[in-house]
Order: sequence, then structure tokens, then C-alpha cells
Amino acid sequence: MRQSLQASYVLHSRPYRNTSKLLDIFSREQGRRVLVARGARQGNSRLQGQLLPFIPLLLSWQGQGEVQTLTAAETGTLLTPLKGRKVLTAFYLNELLLRLLARDDPHPALYDAYAQTLQRLSGSSDRASDEEAGLRLFECFLLQELGYGLVLDHEVSSGGVLQAQQLYCYQPERGPWVIESKQDCENGLLVHGSTLLALQQGDLYAADAHTEHHNLMLREAKMLIRINLARHLGAKPLQSRELYIQQKQLLKS
Amino acid sequence: MSFSPLISQLIEVLCCLPGVGPKSAQRMAFHLLQRDREGAKRMATTLLEAVERIGHCSQCRSLSEQSLCKLCASSRRDRSLLCVVESPIDVQAVLQAADYKGMFFVLMGHLSPLDGIGPIDIGLDKLAARLDEGEIREVILATNPTAEGEATAHYIAEIIESRAGIRATRIAHGVPVGGELEFVNSSTLSRAFNARTEV
Ligand SMILES: [Zn+2]
Repeated sequence: MRQSLQASYVLHSRPYRNTSKLLDIFSREQGRRVLVARGARQGNSRLQGQLLPFIPLLLSWQGQGEVQTLTAAETGTLLTPLKGRKVLTAFYLNELLLRLLARDDPHPALYDAYAQTLQRLSGSSDRASDEEAGLRLFECFLLQELGYGLVLDHEVSSGGVLQAQQLYCYQPERGPWVIESKQDCENGLLVHGSTLLALQQGDLYAADAHTEHHNLMLREAKMLIRINLARHLGAKPLQSRELYIQQKQLLKS
Repeated sequence: MSFSPLISQLIEVLCCLPGVGPKSAQRMAFHLLQRDREGAKRMATTLLEAVERIGHCSQCRSLSEQSLCKLCASSRRDRSLLCVVESPIDVQAVLQAADYKGMFFVLMGHLSPLDGIGPIDIGLDKLAARLDEGEIREVILATNPTAEGEATAHYIAEIIESRAGIRATRIAHGVPVGGELEFVNSSTLSRAFNARTEV
């Protein structure tokens, strides 16, 4: 099997044998794959500065079996390099894909969402709320693509449409239930209809930053997606999330 | 060709050196056995002694057989400056290239969430304790210009910023001096472009 100039991202790479690299890639048409890049760690290799994460690449490979051989790599349209905290966020995206996406299972729409999320990350906005909104929408889309999508288009007890002002109790196995007051939410997460609708419409970005309501929406979306992701991630914690927790102990307040 | 078991074993162990494949390992093995048995003996005893006695400096974490390495023990260096690098070989590179009189801290790696390498693995608890001793005024983050190096630098910068009176700086990255733009890979060029300065 020979594949030529496939739009791909490197999700993870590790040293392999003396001078090679083993790449975990996410290709638009072929899904997740493992490739070996021979000689990629040699000082004079053209591949050295090229097979980096978070950069759109055109990769060619050939071979049979689990691990195929990279034959060529070109850099696609380049983005502004990710800086600082955004690099950690991007590692989080990669960890999610590595943990949840099976090999050889193509997801072109997810690939496009990933590319778009990275593009937004490298964009000019430094608003933490924009970064958060982008992350939530990607996670939400990832769940949907994997077949674990959230119920965002109807209320599960009556089948009725969601109302922005209404309070719901979201149970991961079932979906949102209409409730009359906060006390009625048992074994579930309390969310406003507006949060569910914003996730459904893919619009979590705030027109004006830091409104009380928008912050509430982001908080609700974060918890809602976290409990849904947790069901599929299993017991092992996400390392990139652990980094934030461990950093708190090293900060001086 | 098949060698005797011991020769094969020798070739195999030489292959663990970076950049040494089976062919060069074979040449090295025969060179030692045919032409330089004395050198081979010295190599063997030195190697043994080195792996037994060389540990990490208690202050900068670099490789050293003393509990405090030469640089950390020196009274001539500026203790208000701390340069953070990924590996002991980077210490040598900075010393040779830059007129740098400050101290070092060696991470012995970088943060790599996807490989499960966290802050404690790269000694950031020690680094935080060092910052709290109060001598340091500026920390120069000289991690590699890779995604992991960048993430590590930022992570440390936030730890520094939570402490008053210490400045965090990052070394610049870009086009190699004497190189031609045409041959510079596009990620490097894009980084250099974004870090452009006034002329
Ligand atoms: Zn030292």
C-alpha cells in the first residue's frame, strides 16, 4: 500500500532505534496511523525540523502491517507558531485523540475540526474565554464523531425542544431532563438550556468578553463535557490535565 | 559473516552509542581488538568507574562526581542569574558560545505529557525551592525550540511569575547565522518572522 501526500498531523513522536522516529499521525483520509521515519534524528536529516506536532503536513508512506514507512514529508500552509500556554492546550488535544481514536479509522470531519481548533489557538485572540470555547466545541464534536454525542436537541422526558431559560438535569447515560428547581437534579449535572443550545449551534464564543452569563455557560459546558469524556477515558487520568494540577503546588501564592 | 559469541556481543554493545550502527560498531570492535588492547582496557575501567561514581549535582542536577559540581561551587559566578537548560551538554554549549557568568539548572529532559513526564521528573520542585532561597533575580529559559521545550519554558515562566522580584526571559530562536533563507525549514522561518526585532 502506497499513500501519497496525505494531509496529516503528527500527534506524537518518539525516538526509535538509533536514528529514526516512530510517529503517531492523524491523517485526514486514513485516520490514526503509526509510521517510522528512518534517519529522522540524524543531524543532517531534512526531516529533523519538519515532523513536528501542530503543523499541517503532507505525508507519503508505504508498506504493510502495523507500522508503515514514511517516504516523504512536506510542510503545508504554516500557522503562526503556538506559544506558551497554548502549546500545553494543543498537547491536551493530541492526548485526547491518542486516547480516544482507534487506529485506521478515518474521521475527515474531526480532522477538519482539529485543524480549525489549532488555527484558532494560533490566532491572535489571547482571550482565555475564546481558548476555552474552542476547546469545549472540539471536545463536544469529538464525542459526537466517536458515537458518544451529547443529547443537545431535545429534552428526554417529553421529547420537547430545549428552551434557553429552562433548567435541566443532565444525566450522562440519558440526556437533559426538564426540572422545576435546582433541588430536583439528582445523579446529574445542573445546566441551563442556553448552554446546551450554544453547544449544539457550535457557538460558545462571547460577543463581549467576561459577561457573567457567558462565564456561567463556559463553566457548565466544561463540567458537562468532562463527565461525558470521563465515561470513555477510563480510570487513567489525562497527563496534560495533571500538569495543571501539579503546577498549582509549585506556584507561590 | 558470523563472529564468535564474545565478538558479536562486543559489536552489539557498541551499537548502543548514538549514531553507531552495526557496520561502524564492527569496525570499532576490530580496531580495539587488533590495534589498541591497552586503550580498550583503559576504556573499560574508566567506563566502569564513571557509571559508578558520576551522579547528579545536588544544586543544578547536572552530571558530576562531586555532590556540588565545579560551576555551582565556584565563587566567581553571578548567583543572581540562572540559566535553565534541558541537558548537561547544553550547559557546555552555552558556556562555549555566550559570555555567560551566571548559574545553571539542568532539567535532564522536558515536560512531555504524552510520555507521562511531569514537573517532578524534571526537578521543578527543586527549582521552585531554589527560587525561594532569594538569590536569583533573572531566570533565562534556554530549553529547546521544540513544542515540548516551548511548553516547558512557559510552564516554568508561570512558576517564576508567581514569585515577586524574579524576571523570566526566553532565548530567541530563528534563522541560523550564515544560512540562506531558502534552505531554512518553514517552521524555523515562521518563528523567526514572528520574533522579528527593530533594526
Ligand atoms: Zn551544579
